[in-house]
Amino acid sequence: MFTHDGWVPMRDYGEDAVDFVIVGTGAGGGTLACKLAEAGFSVIAMDAGAYWRPLEDFASDEQEQTKLYWTDDRIVDGDDPIHLGANNSGKAVGGSTVHYMMVSLRFRPEWFNSRTKLGYGADWPLEWREMWRYYREAEEALCISGPVRYPWGPQRPRYPYRAHPLNAPARYLARGAEKLGIAWSETPIATLSAPRGKAHPCVYRGFCASGCTTNAKQSVLNTWLPRALAAGAEIRDLAMAGRVETKNGRATGVHYFRNGQWRFQCARNVVVAGYAIETPRLLLNSSSSEFPDGLANSSGMVGKNLMVHLNQSVFGYSGDEIRSYKAPPSLALTEHWNYEDRGKDYHGGWCYMAPGPLPADWARTVSAKGKWGAGLLEEMSRYNHAVGLKMVGEVLPYERNRVSLSEQTDRYGLPIARVTFGFGDNERAMRTHALDFMDRALDAVGVTERWRNEEETAHLMGTARMGEDPATSVVNADCRSWDIPNLWVCDGSVFPTSGGVNPSLTIQALACRTGDRIAELAARGEL
Amino acid sequence: MSGDITHRAAQWIAGGATLVAGSVLSDSAIEHYRGSFANKAMFLPLGASALSIVHDGNLAARGARTGAVGSWTSGTHAASVGVGAAGLGFHVYNIAKQPGGFSLGNFFYQAPIGAPAALVFAGALGAAAHALSSGASALGPVPLQSGRALAGFTALGLAGTAGEAALLHFRGAYHNPAMWLPVTIPPMAALALARTALTGRVHWVTTASLAATAALGLLGTAFHAYGVSRNMGGWKNWRQNLLAGPPVAAPPAFAGVAIAGLGALLLIRRFSRG
Repeated sequence: MFTHDGWVPMRDYGEDAVDFVIVGTGAGGGTLACKLAEAGFSVIAMDAGAYWRPLEDFASDEQEQTKLYWTDDRIVDGDDPIHLGANNSGKAVGGSTVHYMMVSLRFRPEWFNSRTKLGYGADWPLEWREMWRYYREAEEALCISGPVRYPWGPQRPRYPYRAHPLNAPARYLARGAEKLGIAWSETPIATLSAPRGKAHPCVYRGFCASGCTTNAKQSVLNTWLPRALAAGAEIRDLAMAGRVETKNGRATGVHYFRNGQWRFQCARNVVVAGYAIETPRLLLNSSSSEFPDGLANSSGMVGKNLMVHLNQSVFGYSGDEIRSYKAPPSLALTEHWNYEDRGKDYHGGWCYMAPGPLPADWARTVSAKGKWGAGLLEEMSRYNHAVGLKMVGEVLPYERNRVSLSEQTDRYGLPIARVTFGFGDNERAMRTHALDFMDRALDAVGVTERWRNEEETAHLMGTARMGEDPATSVVNADCRSWDIPNLWVCDGSVFPTSGGVNPSLTIQALACRTGDRIAELAARGEL
Repeated sequence: MSGDITHRAAQWIAGGATLVAGSVLSDSAIEHYRGSFANKAMFLPLGASALSIVHDGNLAARGARTGAVGSWTSGTHAASVGVGAAGLGFHVYNIAKQPGGFSLGNFFYQAPIGAPAALVFAGALGAAAHALSSGASALGPVPLQSGRALAGFTALGLAGTAGEAALLHFRGAYHNPAMWLPVTIPPMAALALARTALTGRVHWVTTASLAATAALGLLGTAFHAYGVSRNMGGWKNWRQNLLAGPPVAAPPAFAGVAIAGLGALLLIRRFSRG
């Protein structure tokens, strides 16, 4: 991982029963694999993607790096079909953290009780103070580089590493916020601002969204998984799980496709961590005579309450050269509208950051304005002067937004997921407010020829929500399914609400908590 | 006899000034190159520190006594002090105009607020060394022969340099335990030296901590060279990593200040013996 042609030893459990088989090695599964292995359990974590070695396997090429996305067939429908791929999936060991933007924010404490405290969405079965401790654990594991003082929310401990210098778009964000009289901050971000172990500090190359070639990015791939391997976990890559087997009300293992054949891995516990589409797909596809509606689905909630984040942006041009693709994107942000509820005609919060689109991505963005041919060329020649602001906005859970199984099957013979999504009035009101505000923030710093990119969404959450009540939720606070005691779900699908921040840190904090809880339950003989 | 000691002290102080000026020359050359010499004034510290090196290095190396301080020499030192002071103003202005103003982030990454002070320091030390060597009892209103004013001045310089190391090593999150060394040993030396300046008595702790600081300054360059190697591509990618890594030329400034402090101790010892 950290040296060219380097190898590390890995345990090989074969297919005898292990304590835990985890399906998925992203922010949820990879983190949990580490926690469980370090707690002394025998663990196999499978991933449909490959075990890449960034120093050798990654290229500074947007097209090449699409190999990190989950681009298998899916059917999208609904009023606002989601564009799936780059910014809401990952198919690699390490999951989407291999190419994530590294923005590592904590939830606003009230969001864990948004139903009781803020009057919308659903309550989490967790207490924010406890989550605060697990956020800390995740931040330390990722060696987050962040500001010394964070302007919003309850006081938090100092980030392990200092914040990075601001790039030009971040400086535009900062000046705009100052002009409009709201606070801004350097973004807590999971890329190194100083050496750590064998990993080099960030070189500000700016290819983060295509996978970091230098290991400065602190992903599950190069933080939790090396620890997991050292603690005796096995990572089984290129293994596509198709079905969780159950017998007498308990999970017995996972059928998976590897090296051209279907195989079966026995396990005393099964953790599903495939993210908000593949997790419900696997649970629904594992239906049996015992569980005709799919596993863990007595509430009927598996696949429902799918959420995304609003990810709309405002862009324009500056007289100055910006080169927004330099350095990690999103180096500055404001969470003002996550913590300020006055002046809103909608529920929920949003933040905005300073994006740094790569060239091909940018060409797609401007061609969506109807630019083509010579017009597109002329627009692309101004790429170095483009500057914008991009939101991450909370989307409410609606049961009608869901993942279900279609009639069609994929190359494994598994039913393809159907992803149905549509915004509500709340999202439309938030989008209008956010775009107007970001437009003012750019206007205030002299950005001209502004336009609004109203299409994009990011992240996926929901579809196996946690809760206090087995009738309305899929798993409990420990991410353990209500119906099948040795079946767990550990990824973004357990989110009851989406919050107005990027989800990866919260998923990792939840996985840390789940790992600790499993160890406690095992010690009490309650597994 | 006492003249010999004065001259030896002058040599030490001139040597210290030379080291500090050398650190300023190489550090500002690298950092201002990194800043593309966007402002023509960014060449000034290179010229001023180079002149200081020529004059003070000459004095440090030469055993013989000089006559009255020449106007060229005085002008050189005045230029270093002036350019350093102007640089301080520029650097403060540079920080003030950034988004966030006087915030930690800007102190970390914008023009280093303490660096131009080193040039002021080199100029003043150089002027003092030349005055001492010419037999003058004072530099302007500052008495030189007792060594106490010089000790106080170098204590201040050490404290400032340690302060800058503390700020920038905090930026690096003290990721290597060795990064604590320059924020522990030099402040101890500064305290001991300040005490000596006040009491006029030299304790062995003062001498030892100054010697340790001088050694640390040279060792620091080795540590920073290692720090450069910790960046992507290591020394093979030196053209980038010299700019991105820790400043290789900065730590010798510690050694320079400490050596000047040892020179001041020579004077104080002589004075306390009568």
